[in-house]
Amino acid sequence: MSSVQPTAIPAVVPLSADVAPRSRSNGLFSGGLRFAGALGGALALFAVLMLLKGVNPFAAYRDMFVSTLGDSSQVAGILVRATPVILAALAVSIPARAGLINVGGEGQLIMGGVAAMGVSLLIDGRISGPLALVCMALGAGVAGGLWSAVAAVLRLRIGIAESVTTLLMNYIALDVMYFLIYDRWKDRAGSGQPATRPVAAGEHLPLWANTRVHLGLGLALVSALLIFLLFRSTSWGFRLRVVGGNMEAARRSGLNVSALIISAMFVGGVLAGLGGFTQLAGAEFKLRSGFLAGYGYVGFLASWLGRHRPIGVTLSCLLLSAIAISGDSLQLDSKLPAASVNVLMALVLLGVFGFGRKRKAATP
Amino acid sequence: MNMITEVLTGGVRGGTSILYAALGESVSERAGVVYLGTEGSILMGALAGYAVSAETGQPWFGVIAGALAGGLLALVHAYLVLSRGANQLATGLVVLFLGLGLTSLFGVNYVQALAPTFHTVAIPGLSSIPFFGSVLFRQDPLVYVSYGCVPALWWFISRSRWGVLLRAAGERSEVLTITGHRVLRIQYAAVVAGGMFAGIGGVHLSTAYTKSWFENMAQGRGFVAVAVVMFAARQPFKVAGGAYLFGAALALSPALQARGFGINQFALDAVPYLVTLGVLIVLGRRRAAELPEGLSKVFEAAPTT
Repeated sequence: MSSVQPTAIPAVVPLSADVAPRSRSNGLFSGGLRFAGALGGALALFAVLMLLKGVNPFAAYRDMFVSTLGDSSQVAGILVRATPVILAALAVSIPARAGLINVGGEGQLIMGGVAAMGVSLLIDGRISGPLALVCMALGAGVAGGLWSAVAAVLRLRIGIAESVTTLLMNYIALDVMYFLIYDRWKDRAGSGQPATRPVAAGEHLPLWANTRVHLGLGLALVSALLIFLLFRSTSWGFRLRVVGGNMEAARRSGLNVSALIISAMFVGGVLAGLGGFTQLAGAEFKLRSGFLAGYGYVGFLASWLGRHRPIGVTLSCLLLSAIAISGDSLQLDSKLPAASVNVLMALVLLGVFGFGRKRKAATP
Repeated sequence: MNMITEVLTGGVRGGTSILYAALGESVSERAGVVYLGTEGSILMGALAGYAVSAETGQPWFGVIAGALAGGLLALVHAYLVLSRGANQLATGLVVLFLGLGLTSLFGVNYVQALAPTFHTVAIPGLSSIPFFGSVLFRQDPLVYVSYGCVPALWWFISRSRWGVLLRAAGERSEVLTITGHRVLRIQYAAVVAGGMFAGIGGVHLSTAYTKSWFENMAQGRGFVAVAVVMFAARQPFKVAGGAYLFGAALALSPALQARGFGINQFALDAVPYLVTLGVLIVLGRRRAAELPEGLSKVFEAAPTT
């Protein structure tokens, strides 16, 4: 019953830390200092690059800051963008606990969106409101879960690294979606752009107050909290960690490693699939080319940034989403391509991965 | 030209960028480092090669620039992984993002630019052999260079003294340390060399295959290269087979469409990835045992098999 108190959060650190005693002695302060140093270094390096392109970095950073955090509607934009990213990041964190590397959040998000759209086309307005939304969410979750479980099965039965299969399946998922929006599901009455018809108004997720923030954010945050609790206080969470620590030892001590690995990948995929659903029913309302492009990879990086712990991962998603959105300002105000913001994102992550904590003695 | 010849010719042409990248990845993985940022090195090489070729008017200068750019990005990966102890898969993906961002930042000026490119050179005599002549010997110079790289790299890895050091760095690094070699230096060299190969692959992509530069033009070729290396067990000749297989799958779509087959383009676009996945599945069980020991260690986050 004390699980919802915010004060319960620090108590979990020793449980989910990799090697608790080492990170304890370091202290929060020096960790935060290192993080700030990495962030500052990244900003400085990116400033140099902007100077090389003839852009005034101070003005660019000011524009980026103002256009990202300037007023409440901008902040709402970050929250909307972070919603599918959080769900995709959790899809990385859960398998990571069992030692698996799921780089397929991108494809699982897309398959979720495709399945949700498919359900919407199937019910074709016959039902609407919460019941229709639940059907769409179910379809999306199952599709995302199955898409990622394939990689788990291939890993267990044939021994192919799931990092490679999930990557390849991202491209296949993308082609599945393109096939549908250019051909089978193309909206003939639309503007000629390759896209499906919009989902019916009764199939929109409710919005929060007068903002663009939709119920999907609640779903993402509740999922993060749920996974946090599952990791902390269920035997499933504990067993996943045993498998992640040493698979062979887990097998010999009688754990059903196959079932645990498949369940971790499946649950992760379900969450990413739901991410696709929330984007469809809460933000974009139809499938079009470029739907959720890059969100899965940002989620992957956010999960590593937050060291696969649900609360930290959620915060990382917010940070990376804010950086991603500030790319729009780079394009509008500084006339740099929007994708250049990937440089800033990469520099921040490299700084944190390489310098954010004390150097490990181990070789790769 | 009949369809089989056309698909195979296109397979060699389209597979060459993946071949270079996969050869590089083989070197890197032999030393025990997986470089998922290969995709980023391809992009860096593609832009640097195209830009230098446009500025100097000489595509061979582009090849040098592309190799340097690809190697530079790999150096970032090597430093983070080898000297700072960062996880190699996550770092590889971040490095890819860095390459993607840098190339879009510095590539805008070259999107519409014209550059001198590599053209098809038919080799006298050899190119008139029926079938094989047109598949193998009516290609551009970078393809011919890659023909030389495959056996050279095989010799280097399997027969040369340097190759023994390289493989030992991936499999038994403690032996190297005991015998007075610097493991770290070998691993650094392997990763950077791998990035340089991927960079040359990128140069082929932009100055010979598409003859243009556009943002994110690698389109997953780097990831495919990593997959090819996996099912080819890091052996150069098998790597070449895998790369050409992917290239042929890529060439299938235009060949079918030119003949008026009404198959959806996106269904065909998925074929190369499905073929790669299929080969991994068919060969996977055998290959798992052949992984360098350095790669099958239980790392901080995960065993890589």
